[in-house]
Amino acid sequence: MNYTKTLAVLATASILAVTVTGCSKDTTATQETASNWTGKITIWDGPRWEENANKYAWIESQKKAFETSHPGVTVEIVQVPWAELNDKLGVSIAGKAWPDLAPVDISGNGVNPTFVKQKVLEPVDEFITADEKKDFLPNAISAWTQDGKLYGLPLGMTVHGMLLNLDLFKERNVEPPKDGQWTWDEFVADMKKLTYDKDGDGKTDVYGLSTYVKNGYYESWPFLYMDGGRPLSDDMSKFTFDSKEATGAMKKLADLKTLPVAPKEMGSGDVGGTWKAFSAQKNVAVEPWATWAISAAQKAKMSNFMVAAYPTGSGKPVTIGGVGGWMMFHQEDAGKKKVLADLMKQLTSKDQQVVTAKNYGTFPTRQSAVDANPFGENLQMQQAQKLTQNAVMVPKHQQWKKIDEAIQSQLQLVLNGEKSPEDAMKEAKKTADELLSK
Amino acid sequence: MSSPHATKSHLDAQATTQPATRRRSSLLREMWKQRAAYLFLMPKLILFTAFILIPIIWAFVLAFQEYGVFGSEWVGLKNFESVAKSELFRSALWNTLQYTVVTVPLQVLIALGLATLIHPLGRLGQSFFRGAFYLPTVTSMVIIAMVWRWVYNYRYGLFNYMLSIFGLPTPDWLNQSSTALWALIIMSVLIPPGVGIIMYLAAMGSIPEQLYEAAEIDGANGFQRWWRITVPLLKPTTLYLTMLSLIGSFQVFTQILLMTGGGPGHATETLVSLVYKTAFRDLEFGLASAQAIVLFVITLLFGIAQYWLLYRKAEED
Repeated sequence: MNYTKTLAVLATASILAVTVTGCSKDTTATQETASNWTGKITIWDGPRWEENANKYAWIESQKKAFETSHPGVTVEIVQVPWAELNDKLGVSIAGKAWPDLAPVDISGNGVNPTFVKQKVLEPVDEFITADEKKDFLPNAISAWTQDGKLYGLPLGMTVHGMLLNLDLFKERNVEPPKDGQWTWDEFVADMKKLTYDKDGDGKTDVYGLSTYVKNGYYESWPFLYMDGGRPLSDDMSKFTFDSKEATGAMKKLADLKTLPVAPKEMGSGDVGGTWKAFSAQKNVAVEPWATWAISAAQKAKMSNFMVAAYPTGSGKPVTIGGVGGWMMFHQEDAGKKKVLADLMKQLTSKDQQVVTAKNYGTFPTRQSAVDANPFGENLQMQQAQKLTQNAVMVPKHQQWKKIDEAIQSQLQLVLNGEKSPEDAMKEAKKTADELLSK
Repeated sequence: MSSPHATKSHLDAQATTQPATRRRSSLLREMWKQRAAYLFLMPKLILFTAFILIPIIWAFVLAFQEYGVFGSEWVGLKNFESVAKSELFRSALWNTLQYTVVTVPLQVLIALGLATLIHPLGRLGQSFFRGAFYLPTVTSMVIIAMVWRWVYNYRYGLFNYMLSIFGLPTPDWLNQSSTALWALIIMSVLIPPGVGIIMYLAAMGSIPEQLYEAAEIDGANGFQRWWRITVPLLKPTTLYLTMLSLIGSFQVFTQILLMTGGGPGHATETLVSLVYKTAFRDLEFGLASAQAIVLFVITLLFGIAQYWLLYRKAEED
């Protein structure tokens, strides 16, 4: 009996010890002076371009460089797939166990208003001099500013454009759009020619166009903007995607499936599947993508392609842009904040922006990096750069994620042919109006 | 000086509190006597308290707050009002109910059917089928969902390939709102209910053989013996499995997240996927807790109803 009791006491004591030590805070952060802070920094990043079969090579090289220039500071990298980034950040915020630095996806629209509302992001204005700030492009800084404060540093910008498989254009004797510009009618005529039965079995194997609709992704949206439709009014007080211009454009896009110049799964497919159809299976001639896809296609040895603008309707030529970068999460220690700001500056420096632009298919957000002409020999990126002049951002409303979900979920049904654009947007408007009135 | 009436009340109170105090102290004495057992239980109790009990209590507290990472605000019943007014919540509830009403009875029936077929086999046969049918239970739902995504693929999927052989229409299973929820239901039903089969087999093994022999002498055929002896005697197991399956169905989430994300539209949005999005995408933990509590109450009510229907009826029989 005594033996049993001793065992029980020992077991309990060990569990308690493990629990207590397991729950204790990281004690590696030691010195707390503002200038010489040392300790551990946790940084999350998603996969970028591949170097020696490693998609995290760039951030690993940055870690080494920073640890060398900041003795006593160690950087721990946590690899997070882009698709899981936001969910993981949400979970980490719930558990108050956020990383010190995390990236914003390049197709994102800068700073996340929900994070700002929850006060989990640190403004970085105090660490950026006026000269440093002046080097950043105003639209990039604007995307990362909320209530007059700068919540992070932008690394790169992206824009959505149409990727054209020129081998298929050649095979079908279709002339690519001159200077990458085409009207809707020209676009539809080309898509018809590019949709065909390749192997002669009586079934269509290659389609002109495909894309997908998914919360937070805007590849299909410039089509909806082409006749002047916009999701919200300029002052962001009204839902306007139920306008004739917007619903008419939605109908035009949905009708491509009935022509049929687009596969049945257009709108409902996933990101990976849609990309594979264009880049590997080559059974879609044209797909809209953010510019990261240019670099991905080049690395996949898909050399014969070009970048064109979205077709124009009755509205001005338009596409949607995004600004990615780095954000700093809430810190108690002023010294650590300063060190983190140093790391953010290193990651978004002119040199790193040039490297990222060359390898990752993004446009620099610093004027000095733009002047370095990173796309000197990259024809497709040069073509894409022309599209930036027509780029607009998605509305920066605090409830945007929910409004976006309300629109995208209905848009899926429109492209599936299950709802008319008018009915779908009426449904989306109900949710959006409620959110906008908050 | 107290009145005789007051003294009587005082004595009455003493009379009622004394046994209670005695009971408490005898309970404490008993606990002290069994302290070794309690110490052995303590690690599990600590973990249970830390990871189950406290989060549950916290969820109840959060449901009445507007959550902020650095400080929350009491908002009374506002979150529950939002839940009641939310069309999306009603739609998620309806989807969850459809899923539950179809999958729970079918999963239990399939488990019973398969266990009935396996039970008469020899030891080797039983072991083989037990293992085979239990395998999906130990396989991650993530892997199962990935396989089924391929099965349902519009262009290359197994289902559509088979349908095309017979010249039947090939739907885009997971991407049409008319078929997406049914596709998930079919998947859940077709995954062998390993736990159910094992439990039914164990319960079948404990039914006395004499009952079957007596029925056989009375002229009962195989089906009659199964229907009149096996099925009624398996009622406690059926009740337990139905309860488990019901709770699991109300909490369906992984396959939704991986296969449809709640779409197209909100055709496959279920209560737990909605709670997840509200909490971790929108960071509205108060509202998400209120949604979770409503889900808890609904599950509880269904559980009680089911218990009453099955167990009470079994007792009456």
